[in-house]
Amino acid sequence: MEDIELDLTGRLMADMDPQLLEFLQSKVNSFVKWDLVNFFYDSPHTTDTAENIARYAGRSVGTIRTDLAELAQDGVLEESRLGGMTVYSLASDPHVREMLEQFVRASDDRQFRVKAIYHIIRGMR
Amino acid sequence: MERIATGIPGLDEMLHGGYLPQTANLVEGAPGTGKTTLGMQFIHHGIVVCGEPGLILTFEEFPQQYYESAASFGWDFRQMERNGKLRIVMTSPEVSKADLEQVGGRIEGLVQEIGAKRILVDSLSHFERLSESPSDLRSIVYGFINSLKREGLTAVLTRESMALLGESEGADDALAFLVDSYTLLRYVEIESAVRKALLVLKMRGSDHDKGIRQFEITSRGVEVSATFEGREGIMSGSPRRMMDSFVQAFVRH
Repeated sequence: MEDIELDLTGRLMADMDPQLLEFLQSKVNSFVKWDLVNFFYDSPHTTDTAENIARYAGRSVGTIRTDLAELAQDGVLEESRLGGMTVYSLASDPHVREMLEQFVRASDDRQFRVKAIYHIIRGMR
Repeated sequence: MERIATGIPGLDEMLHGGYLPQTANLVEGAPGTGKTTLGMQFIHHGIVVCGEPGLILTFEEFPQQYYESAASFGWDFRQMERNGKLRIVMTSPEVSKADLEQVGGRIEGLVQEIGAKRILVDSLSHFERLSESPSDLRSIVYGFINSLKREGLTAVLTRESMALLGESEGADDALAFLVDSYTLLRYVEIESAVRKALLVLKMRGSDHDKGIRQFEITSRGVEVSATFEGREGIMSGSPRRMMDSFVQAFVRH
């Protein structure tokens, strides 16, 4: 019975644009990553170190370091070396930027946010 | 001589038409005096009136804060970014310094992408965390300023002054030697009211008005008006009537 209810909820929650669902599940699959992509969407010309990005995001560097690296691995951010520092910036790939814009705009909608939160929590299990 | 007009009524007159091209221009003042507004107005005027795109390099405030502040003066910075006339770059002093030192860095790329001619650096005070040594700091800022000039940019660099009224104590004036012009914004207490004063302390390569002018931040931005008539000791923060000083100096009590 519980499995059936969970499945029904799952199907309801999966009712979103398939591309956005894929972007959410494969790339923005934590709340810290959600914060980080929001930050880079609002400040698309930022290039900075993990320490400084942590300050901008109001989190500790230990909290964001892994997520930053994963976003870079997944192609949402670019990681590079600059003057002996490792720095992160938003990927220049137009497709990634387009997906990011769609995702952030969709996040303005409460229904979408509820579904996104559901998927992030499920992904954490 | 070519001038880069700031678009600030009164200030351009004091600067005899504006800043000189490809110069670094320091604007120093206490919190709330209008340093950032002055810098945004310089950028806005360049884009809208002079056809000169601009960059804002911010070390603290988010781009959103600039959009909102600019909107309060009727300046649509967001649209200017969409039109490729403006870029607001939030970064840190260490990264921007390293970026400008290399060939083909991101800031250089943005300058070329939009054809930027002006830059607001908000604020230079953040460089102070890069070194505790005044000589190292001077060297770092010198290199940074030169990299902006190399890119053909005319820069307004803001710097925070901790003193709300009067002269700031312990300010590192070594930086004042590195810049081409140095403008001070000060709060002044006159008859139980706080007003704002502006003084162009230095302008390399050009004459300028040495008067201490009153200024206000209106719905149109910074507006510089008349000098403080009949007052002296303005920059101390607590000016006296000139007659009072005369009496103090010449009449024995």
